[in-house]
Amino acid sequence: MRAHRHRQLLASGTLVVAAGAVVVPIVWIALAALKTQIALLRGDLVFTPYLGNFDELLFAKAADYFAHLRNSAIVATATTVLVLAVATPAAYSMVRMRWPRWVPAALLVFSLVFHMIPPITLVGPWYVLFRTLGLDDTHAALILTHTVLNLPIGLAIMTVFVRDVPLDLLEAARIDGCTTPQILIRIVLPLVRPGLAAAGVLVFVFSWNEFAVALNLTGRSTATVPVAIARFAQEYEIKNGVMAAAAILSAIPAIVLLVIAQRHIVKGLTVGSVK
Amino acid sequence: MTSSPGIRPLRRRVLATVPAAVAALIIGRPVAAQTGKLAPITIVINQSPWLAAFSKVVEAYEKATGNKVALDVNPFAGSAEKQRNSVRAKEGQFDVLAMNSAWLAEFYHGGFIVPLAEIDPTYKPDPEVINFDDTAYWDPKTKTNNSKTGTPHGIPINGNIQVLFYRHDLYEKAGLKVPQTFDELAAAAAKLHHPPSVYGMVQRGARSASDISYDWMPYLQGYNGGIFRDEKAGDFTVTINSPEAKKALDIYVQMAKNSGPPNPGSYGQAQVITALVTGKAANATPVIAAWPQMDDPTKSAVVGKVNVAPVPHGPGGKSTPTLGHFIGAIPKNVPKERQVAALAFLRWFASLDGQTLYAKSGQPPIRRDVYALPFMATPEFRWAKAVAESSPNARMMYTVPEGPQIVAILELRLNQAVIGEKTTVDALNAMAVEIHDLMQKAGYKTGRLADLK
Amino acid sequence: MRPRRQPWRTATLAPAVGVYALLAVLPIINLIVMSVHDIRWVDGLAQWTLVGAKHYAALGSDPLLRAGAVNTFIFAIVAVALEMVIGLGLALLVSRARTGAVVYRTVFILPILIPGIVIGAIWKLMYNPDFGIVNQFIAAIGLPGQDWLGDARLALASVIVVDVWHWTPFVFLLMLAAVESLPRDVDEAAQIDGAGAWQRFRYVTLPLLLPALVVTLAFRLIVSFKVFDEVYLLTGGGPGTATEVVSFSIYRRFFTEDRMGYGSAISVVTLFVLTLLVVLLLGAARRRDSRR
Repeated sequence: MRAHRHRQLLASGTLVVAAGAVVVPIVWIALAALKTQIALLRGDLVFTPYLGNFDELLFAKAADYFAHLRNSAIVATATTVLVLAVATPAAYSMVRMRWPRWVPAALLVFSLVFHMIPPITLVGPWYVLFRTLGLDDTHAALILTHTVLNLPIGLAIMTVFVRDVPLDLLEAARIDGCTTPQILIRIVLPLVRPGLAAAGVLVFVFSWNEFAVALNLTGRSTATVPVAIARFAQEYEIKNGVMAAAAILSAIPAIVLLVIAQRHIVKGLTVGSVK
Repeated sequence: MTSSPGIRPLRRRVLATVPAAVAALIIGRPVAAQTGKLAPITIVINQSPWLAAFSKVVEAYEKATGNKVALDVNPFAGSAEKQRNSVRAKEGQFDVLAMNSAWLAEFYHGGFIVPLAEIDPTYKPDPEVINFDDTAYWDPKTKTNNSKTGTPHGIPINGNIQVLFYRHDLYEKAGLKVPQTFDELAAAAAKLHHPPSVYGMVQRGARSASDISYDWMPYLQGYNGGIFRDEKAGDFTVTINSPEAKKALDIYVQMAKNSGPPNPGSYGQAQVITALVTGKAANATPVIAAWPQMDDPTKSAVVGKVNVAPVPHGPGGKSTPTLGHFIGAIPKNVPKERQVAALAFLRWFASLDGQTLYAKSGQPPIRRDVYALPFMATPEFRWAKAVAESSPNARMMYTVPEGPQIVAILELRLNQAVIGEKTTVDALNAMAVEIHDLMQKAGYKTGRLADLK
Repeated sequence: MRPRRQPWRTATLAPAVGVYALLAVLPIINLIVMSVHDIRWVDGLAQWTLVGAKHYAALGSDPLLRAGAVNTFIFAIVAVALEMVIGLGLALLVSRARTGAVVYRTVFILPILIPGIVIGAIWKLMYNPDFGIVNQFIAAIGLPGQDWLGDARLALASVIVVDVWHWTPFVFLLMLAAVESLPRDVDEAAQIDGAGAWQRFRYVTLPLLLPALVVTLAFRLIVSFKVFDEVYLLTGGGPGTATEVVSFSIYRRFFTEDRMGYGSAISVVTLFVLTLLVVLLLGAARRRDSRR
């Protein structure tokens, strides 16, 4: 009994230390947003709170941080919806529609391989393509590229979940005369909701934070938050305080999303990984 | 910015038409068709300390002419890629490129830049505009930046160069004179070196796209050395392992060892500037663009204590800062009316009015006459004298498109010399072999000196 | 096969294939074509010269690439191993925690939400040898401060620490899901049989977790071979070549030096090596799986 309590104490202790290791840098970022550059550079532990960073970020003459937030919200939301909308039927098709075995295998292997390429090497061809299509400097360009970049994750997760939809349910629906779209919408979608939540959150967060592609495919009016943040890392002056303020503000939507979706994610992944 | 003329006060309206009329005369179109009638243009530029000053001039231009100018502001990392994408497309997105000296050569050699006389045959560069090592001129035949054989292809839009930042309070207390040679600097640095509270000399010793090589270049040039024998004349014989270069590297490494921070090989430009504003550096040679931070109490612990002087030189050499400036140029692949509008803006920007406004916002102007204006002699502008003095002799780091590869070689080997992985002789010999190999493969007229012993 | 269903079979898969074909296959083909060419720009026009395997032949003698390849392997293996162990450990602990599981779950996921560029900038300040919080902490427990990023012996380890901080949450999230889906009865049965905690972990939990572990490992390995953001802001590959990594070399050669042909060749080879690695890994996992 004593050994048991001992072990439990050790476990709680480890968790507290680990949580501390995660939280300290984040608190430090939050505090950095409230420091002057010089207080930050000198690592002052005691300081007078300073709102200049938020002021510069939000209300400076050329500031359009809210526009960047809006752009990021549009791109990340549309990307998430698109990835799920493309990946879910594709997963169903691969798992349940009796393709010759090599078709799904080839698609999944290609997914993995594609996932390995540093996206930055693909930016040049993408730029040319979107410029030819007249889509440069539009949200659509970034949404499409983020969709293709996140499709591997979407496919991997959704395949696992769709495979878990009981076969007899599908068979019963088919006997009732449901068409494929009806089966997808009425039977599959409700059952893979946890998977949609899990994949959705990951895709949203990756799209929200993506920098290299966004930099090259967006312009003045379409730039996303990471591009805006990177502007503060200048050649001659890294505005750490303003960057920290921007990071804290940009993380809030993602944190809210995480807290709301948390239960779904964990439940979703739990169901999925039974396989 | 688009308030209708009727609402504007009469005086301003009259004043506003004057520059437009001047611009119109120059371009040779009727005034009536001119005011606010030029095509809207987009300038691609990077976020930087001088952007605020640049934006002010842009606003003034819009107010004065009614023409529209949009700024596409990017992080410095990646702005070269963005410009590259645009000039390589069928039709460009950007009408004015704010090109940093780092990618100037690539864009000139690639043939992306339109000669200004092609837009306006009567174009003549303003004699008051500083020459900056002929970087606004390009000779497509010999593929060199040469004001004698080439023609104007751009207008400098920022005069950023290296200067010596030093703590004049510490100098006064120690009774030291502002150094003019590297030997004097080394002596002063050693005397002011009190680690860990103050380091005598903080160098940009880090290896990156361009840190240590940029920082060391004034040493090399100041000892009358060079990477090549005569770049302007097309002689690319590699002279990086000359005895002059060895002296330049020896004193650089010696200063890093004797009066630098514990790991000088990890200091990039941002760290050097941090060391200055936190009061840790007695001397450093960053670019003048870093100046505004020194006197800002939210950013600096040494307000009023820093001063600048031209970078030192070797015996018999002269102060030779490296250029870190920007050229405003117009790409070939945009429609003529946008090129015309772009040139009109660049000229206005380089005008006395434009540059006075620019300088008043705290950035080094690109015109000689602005440095002579009374406000430039006030303490707030105490950097101006040194910049004015050293600008004419500032040099480009490289003028060939292989430049970034050459720099990559320098960065690695110089950094190894500073962190003690290689002796200065080995580092220089290695650079010579690698640069020679590179230039030979790229088809230049090249050769190299015998190995240093 | 019922022909009636064919149109829907195609229609459901077509969007995914279409997106890949247009935005993934084409650029990859482009990359491969570029890798056998020299591309120069003359008078604003691209001039492609076929050079065959020249770029591939030059890879071996690229000093940055050699250092980069070694560092990338060390980085990927050490960082991912640490992330797997810590992520799994935390997942096991959180799943058994009586109190605060919800709080821990949220906290441990936080780091993925911060953009990489901010993580780089902030950790750089935290590592600052003069004022950084890391040295302040170390001094408080009575040890001498270090120049974490400036000392060639410490730099790679320091970068790994940041990566572990940033990406362990990803492993944690996937592992937590896997752990929570484990059947409890097996574990309980083993406990009744008198198996110790370690034995139960080694012979019961671990084998059951293996498939999820392998998938997570593959995902993390792939992404860690692409490591870029952290190195870019923390060290720029230095000091010397202590933290040079392959994706950073690609970036330099491809963009900074504008050598599209050579840069593409590095990408293609990297891709080939990684594909091989993943195929081997998945193959090994499948063999193991079928043996059970």
